[in-house]
Amino acid sequence: MSAKISVEPFGESFECADGETILDAALRNGFFLKYGCRHGGCGTCKVVMSEGDVEGEGSSFAISAGERADGVVLACSSRPATDCTIDVDSMELTEDEFRAGDQVASFEVELASLERLTHDTCALSLALQPPASIAFTDGQFVNVVVPGTDMVRSYSLANAPEDSDRIDLIVKLLPGGAFSALLESGLHVGDSLTLHGPLGELRLRLSHRKVLMVAGGSGLAPFLSMLRNLERRGRSREIDLVFGARTRADLYLVGELERLVAALPGVTFVPALSEPDDELWTGERGLVTEVIARRYTSLDGYDAYLAGPPAMIEASIPLITGLGVRPANVHFDAFVSSRR
Amino acid sequence: MAGKRSLIDVHEKSKGYDWDYPDTDPKYPSRFIIPKTGKDPFRMLVRDYVRMEEEKDARTYGFLDGALRMRVAETAEPRFMEALKLTLPDLTNAEFQAVSGVGMIARGIGNQELRQGYYAQMLDEVRHTQLEMSLRRYYVEHAPDPAGWDVAQRALYQHPGGHVSLALFQNFNTGDVIDAVINLNVVVETAYTNILLVATPETAVANGDHALATTFLSIQSDEARHMANGYGTLFAVLQDESNVPLVNEALERHFWHSHRGLDALVGWQSEYGAVHRPWAYKDQWQEWVGDDFIGSYIDKLTDFGVEAPTRLAKVAHDVSWIHHSTALALAAIWPLNFWRSDVMGPADMEWFDSHYPGWAEVYGPFWQGHAAMADPSSGRLMLQELPSLPPFCQVCQLPCIMPRPDRSEIRVFEHGGRNIAVCSEGCEWIFHRWPKAYEGRKSFWQKYHGWDLADVILDLGYVRPDGVTLMGQPSVSLERLWTIEDIRRIGFEIKDPLAS
Repeated sequence: MSAKISVEPFGESFECADGETILDAALRNGFFLKYGCRHGGCGTCKVVMSEGDVEGEGSSFAISAGERADGVVLACSSRPATDCTIDVDSMELTEDEFRAGDQVASFEVELASLERLTHDTCALSLALQPPASIAFTDGQFVNVVVPGTDMVRSYSLANAPEDSDRIDLIVKLLPGGAFSALLESGLHVGDSLTLHGPLGELRLRLSHRKVLMVAGGSGLAPFLSMLRNLERRGRSREIDLVFGARTRADLYLVGELERLVAALPGVTFVPALSEPDDELWTGERGLVTEVIARRYTSLDGYDAYLAGPPAMIEASIPLITGLGVRPANVHFDAFVSSRR
Repeated sequence: MAGKRSLIDVHEKSKGYDWDYPDTDPKYPSRFIIPKTGKDPFRMLVRDYVRMEEEKDARTYGFLDGALRMRVAETAEPRFMEALKLTLPDLTNAEFQAVSGVGMIARGIGNQELRQGYYAQMLDEVRHTQLEMSLRRYYVEHAPDPAGWDVAQRALYQHPGGHVSLALFQNFNTGDVIDAVINLNVVVETAYTNILLVATPETAVANGDHALATTFLSIQSDEARHMANGYGTLFAVLQDESNVPLVNEALERHFWHSHRGLDALVGWQSEYGAVHRPWAYKDQWQEWVGDDFIGSYIDKLTDFGVEAPTRLAKVAHDVSWIHHSTALALAAIWPLNFWRSDVMGPADMEWFDSHYPGWAEVYGPFWQGHAAMADPSSGRLMLQELPSLPPFCQVCQLPCIMPRPDRSEIRVFEHGGRNIAVCSEGCEWIFHRWPKAYEGRKSFWQKYHGWDLADVILDLGYVRPDGVTLMGQPSVSLERLWTIEDIRRIGFEIKDPLAS
């Protein structure tokens, strides 16, 4: 049974087919709602359900308990159980943008290089095919279509927006992951891929506060893009980047990070190993949460940015808000592995 | 439906016409290159606009009748009502200056699409003035102590607090039109009206004044369109790269000046004009100015070359202190006020020190002294305890004890044969960059140099109908009120600290 979805503040409505998500129905009907990963991981498509009821579940990281209590749902993961009214005001869409439909572009790319950074992490550089340019904000991600399927995988761009002719990604190889399997064996330099984007709302916001960046796993990518962008623009900020890894062999691009630190006054790089297997390791030891708790007696006057495994983000948020970061100043991308 | 469509067509067509003015020279020439085409940010027919506003007016005015029966003015916290005697006329002054400002902007902007928005904004600003005057009429008729409400607008313009308001809001209608847009629509309306018109109603409700909450929220519902006017204009002028440094300089100037004037006065009303405080003012600022205005609005414009004000970190720091220093100054000069100040008791002091660590050390002794001298039998005034009166800043008109009396950043220099004081590096930069805009202002102390305080009060007319009892009092709860004779007995003479 289809349901009617009314959208405020635009006073518009559309039909949502049985089993269809609110996001898919909006896009099919020619309306635009902001979205990202499309599987409940990133939180970009948050809307407020002011009337009606939905079925579906979102990642516990994408919606806080407080938001859930306020009626926030994820449009990409919610299927209406009744007619619904949603309020999309928080997406800050203009009416023109809403009515213009989905403008997120598709790109054809060619794998220009594939480099193994660690035993389970790869760096991909993708050359854009004509039209060979993508406009994105440092911190955004793209959805890469897994060849031969309709599945997509979300990865943050690691290059600076000025390098608009290519897309650099950092991919964590997950056991049994569809894209991971392809990278391990089937994908070669020169092969073509399709991707959609750019997507996501993570960006380094203008502020008078200092910045704490916390990266784990492949979560370094958006911060690399931000730092490279600051370098290109000749700007700097007071930033502490805490990069957590298990062992020394799991750290990657350390040389590039040290180069950026040298070029950007005010930026500090703090590598941290949870299981240092090297006695010569003089850096921080412990989980990133332990490192933060040890290094900072107060984070009052900081903005915090988090990217990495959901468990790291889940553990970090109460710690850093407890140390004084205002909840509104905590920004994150949870790299929830796709369930589809 | 067909009729409506044709009206929309006519409206759209009308924006294709431009006006010929008999006097082609604007009052203030613009340094900006203003594109001839733009996008009407208002996008509303007058007919629809009037229908919408009529409904909002009916709800707001209707509530005043309800307020009468609910005895809102009689039961609201006196401390809140008294502080409003300064801040509400301050706001009405802002509306007056904005009426004139959008007139100047509409006349000078030379872009028919943008002009539509400013015509409608002028209607809004007049509406706001009327709403505020109706609220004030309600107060003057029903407040337990109407003294001050009856003369509020005239009293404001004579008072140092009114000088802060004038210095800030006259920029709406004085100078380059785009500069005025950046001041009015971008900084004051986009960055600050949420604090002023959304947070203040929360404080009003917490202190029992639903009438003010209703009026302010009705006013705020118009502000989104004014923000759109500002954004539309900013976006249009940013299309020409030569305008970018001018935009940044105007933003630098007005962000600093608005911080001085608004954070001082709105912060004062929000915390010292309240018994119940739903927010700490610094948290309001972090949310609406820090996160929304800088972190979202300005952030999105950085792709077009707009930069965060260079004094942003300094502003963020001073926001924790300047309203406390303003409160101290306004309480110290209480005989010169046209409202009753109040004593800050133990519960107030505990709240301040817990929300602003270090407050008790800096401000605690002053408030203890203020309480001790509140009764006329003390025969003492805090003014007598000061080594000298603090000069007023030639730019923002705040007393030069900012951000804190123990960390004053006052600068004094000679200009045009007289001593000029400014409160800070930011105001000093503004003064030297635009001296003509500020050098002519005379200071309050200069006007009354050598006068007995009692004669100053009589000259200002801040006495009650009996001719002897002061409008200004040090406390809202005094049984015996100070009279002009109490002041004359003290024999305090005003001495201009800048007199040579």
